Amino acid sequence: MPALATAQNYPRRAPDFERLAQELFAEIQTDQIPYEDLYGTLLTLYQAPLNLNTAGPEELRALPLLTEKQVAALLRYRQANGLLLSVYELQAVPEWDVRTIARVAPFVTVASNTPNSARGPLWQRIKNEENNAVLLRYRRVLQRQKGYSPVDTFQGRPTLRYLGSPDAVALRYRVSHAHDFSLGFTAEKDAGEPLAWRPGQHQFGPDFLSAHFVLHEQGRLKTLALGDYQLQFGQGLLLSSGLAAGKGAETITNLRRASLGVRPYAALLENTFFRGAAATYRLAPRLEATVFASRKNIDASARLATDSLAQFDEFSSSLVLTGLHRTASEIANRQRLSETVGGGHLAYLSADGNLALGLTAVGTHYGMGFQKRAEPYNRYEFSGQNNLAFGAHYSYGWRNLLLFGESGRSRSGGLGTVNGLLASLGPSVDVAVLVRHYDADFHTFYGNALSENTRPINESGFYLGLKVRPLARWEVSAYFDQFRFPWLRYRVSAPSHGQDALLRVAFAPTKTSLLYAQYRARLKPLDLPASLSGRAVPLPGQQVRHSVLLYADVQPTARLGLRTRLQATYLRADDGLPWRRGYILSQDASVQLARRVSLAGRYAVFDTDDYDTRQYIFEQDVLYAVSVPALYGQGTRAYLILQAAFNKHFTLWLRYTDTRYRHQATVGSGLEEIMGSARSEVTAQVRYRL
Amino acid sequence: MLLTRVSLAQGNGPAGHGGRAQALGNASATLAGEVWAVANNPAGLGTITQPTVGLYFENRYLLPSLNVAAVALALPLSVVEPAAAGQPARTSRGVLGLEAQRFGGVLYNETRVGAAYGYRLGVINIGGRLDALQVSFQDLGSRRVLAASLGGQAELLPRRLTLGVYLYNLTQAKLADYQDERVPTVLRVGLAYRPGQQVLLLVEAEKDVERAAGMKAGIEYRPTAAVAVRLGYASLSQQATGGVGLRAGDFQLDYAAGWHSALGLSQYFSLGWQWGKSEMKNLE
Repeated sequence: MPALATAQNYPRRAPDFERLAQELFAEIQTDQIPYEDLYGTLLTLYQAPLNLNTAGPEELRALPLLTEKQVAALLRYRQANGLLLSVYELQAVPEWDVRTIARVAPFVTVASNTPNSARGPLWQRIKNEENNAVLLRYRRVLQRQKGYSPVDTFQGRPTLRYLGSPDAVALRYRVSHAHDFSLGFTAEKDAGEPLAWRPGQHQFGPDFLSAHFVLHEQGRLKTLALGDYQLQFGQGLLLSSGLAAGKGAETITNLRRASLGVRPYAALLENTFFRGAAATYRLAPRLEATVFASRKNIDASARLATDSLAQFDEFSSSLVLTGLHRTASEIANRQRLSETVGGGHLAYLSADGNLALGLTAVGTHYGMGFQKRAEPYNRYEFSGQNNLAFGAHYSYGWRNLLLFGESGRSRSGGLGTVNGLLASLGPSVDVAVLVRHYDADFHTFYGNALSENTRPINESGFYLGLKVRPLARWEVSAYFDQFRFPWLRYRVSAPSHGQDALLRVAFAPTKTSLLYAQYRARLKPLDLPASLSGRAVPLPGQQVRHSVLLYADVQPTARLGLRTRLQATYLRADDGLPWRRGYILSQDASVQLARRVSLAGRYAVFDTDDYDTRQYIFEQDVLYAVSVPALYGQGTRAYLILQAAFNKHFTLWLRYTDTRYRHQATVGSGLEEIMGSARSEVTAQVRYRL
Repeated sequence: MLLTRVSLAQGNGPAGHGGRAQALGNASATLAGEVWAVANNPAGLGTITQPTVGLYFENRYLLPSLNVAAVALALPLSVVEPAAAGQPARTSRGVLGLEAQRFGGVLYNETRVGAAYGYRLGVINIGGRLDALQVSFQDLGSRRVLAASLGGQAELLPRRLTLGVYLYNLTQAKLADYQDERVPTVLRVGLAYRPGQQVLLLVEAEKDVERAAGMKAGIEYRPTAAVAVRLGYASLSQQATGGVGLRAGDFQLDYAAGWHSALGLSQYFSLGWQWGKSEMKNLE
């Protein structure tokens, strides 16, 4: 059997994350898109690939790359022809084209569905698992930033400085096998964070420590997770983790979320997971129950009430989500607020797998009162110590249609609902419709259903997506989204509404090359500065942003890859005000120097009028790291990355980036400020497979 | 303010009639073969082969004074040539269309009577229309003008891609000397694309001489020959629409609902009945 398995092995190559991100995200316009989280999810899939012979429809939908028709076709094919023999057999599955297979291949595998126990006892399976690696990463900015300069005094008091060294170090170990087990450990110290042993402050050496142990398929116990884990149920209205690509150039498949349940957490984000235990138990053949409990301390700034009539003596006014603990004040806020979360989920799946229903309950308790700043836009935000949210979700697949949705209610009485339909109307047309409504007082802390806001709150919207393949090799995708915010938002001092539309035409002349042109227009009101509105009270302006993107990815020879990218933004704060623009042109090249050595680099020139027209651009980084810098001003950005595999066990990455600005005496602001006009960074990473 | 603009647009501008056109965001310059082509683009009358009568009702934002009611008739003149060589059936002397419409309530209303003619020539449909329009304000009197319009439709790729053009009121009829008030002159240019048998995608640009340009888009899906599901959007009025169509024998029923983000719900309903020899029917 092992020999046969190797014979069938498809040489799985590391996914091209930069290109994939390019295809999944339309265009990054804020720092707040959880791309890191999604990236982490794709990495998890790459590390523990999905077995196409055992994967259910929900797991297939969790790959944000498959259309409903392709999911249905694979399930039908498996039913009619039995188990797949190799990834190559996917070409025989109806609806699966070469491009889809190439995109999906890094994340899937074809293995027999031998029960785990047949492969020996658990400790032996863990010991013999090939999918394991220790990873050590080091990163540092070469120029001295203000935060690392000697302390001086300002008005008799010492100025704020970073307490740690400018080195960023991360260490990870993970061993996993899909549908069997996952075991992992992570330690991380960000730049500027001190290493310290302070058990009183829950710090044991590095700033961030995480570990997990997850077991699958132990009889009726489907999943048991100890340590750090994530939860993903329904459409992510109440519980969502790392699967939310949101609105993007994948105008259809990005909309639906898969109800995956308990998942191990092995990423470096310091606030997107639960810590404790979770278990999924099969009550009956079609019925599963999940219970989970989590307790951890989260970062928050604390304030003492000065008003004797205030609701709480001591309360926290904001959660700090950066995960950075570099200065005395950041360290003071570190893990200040205890958060206890408990809840459960009940899932029903019909015999044919087409109908899925679920109920979710999530209760949250904070160790101290939580109250946002008394601003009008926070009028309906959560305040207090306890929240309880209930939700129900459904998903029904019928022929080439998928109907899905989730509705929930939080303790405040606020309702949230999101409902969608994906349909393959013909061999070359797919459409998606999604209607959402989240009350201004709908409070969910871990939800991330599709929304224009960063959270599902205070929003109604209607989304229509379309994808057409008019000719072979050509693909046109478009979406139109109309949204309304019934209450005020941060920096929007009135109820507002807006629109967002995207059109992308992609042409793939060969299997490896891709050309596309994309246009996106968005109207989203934002307060005008007082100097422009001429009023003492803030007034939202009708901010319009037009963005174009031209992208070419070609491979002239087997060893050489070339990528060109042109991005331009035109932005106007209000009708009648002048247009501002931002522009970036970048050229990448990658060369396979030897069988195990590759080199890639980029040179980009950017020119933007101001910070509002800044350009975000995806970059290639060392494996498991993600880089999307925001560039503004005038200047150049270049990087070089080398990957060398010395043997089966040992792989090394080296990366150097260099950003040079024109007409600037300093780079960055605050403690990140650099005297001079350049910023360079080195990254080194080694991976050792045991 | 917004209300006045919207109601004026509904007023003596080019009408979008029929539950089908309305459900498709009124991206109707390329639609052909149904009786409401008489209002949407008379060139589309050219492919009608059976006499058809249609009734249409519209209500906007649940306000009775914004009601529209219309009745239309399409009459093929002379014999029908059967479909041949990839060309649909057509009448050798074209199709005559007639329509009467009333918009508004007691305080303000518009009445319009129009005669249209459509003709099919190879892969091209051409058509024209002449309107007599009456605008009445209670106690303030009324005005009557004549307006002429022209339309054309061309199949750029047979059965896949169609271009439609409709120029409403090319004579630029004047309603009043005060502020040089004229019936709107509007040019609409649209594309219809059929990626498969069951799907129709529409996109259209509309420009009124005196108002901002707008884009309209629609999608129609026919899971079976008798049922159609439609969605649409018009950028100028910021209205999203959706609707269904049912064919039952010689009857065609279409319903559409529109949602304006500020003004709310609008509804559209039309009923068509055709008679005559059915084997010559042009199923779109």
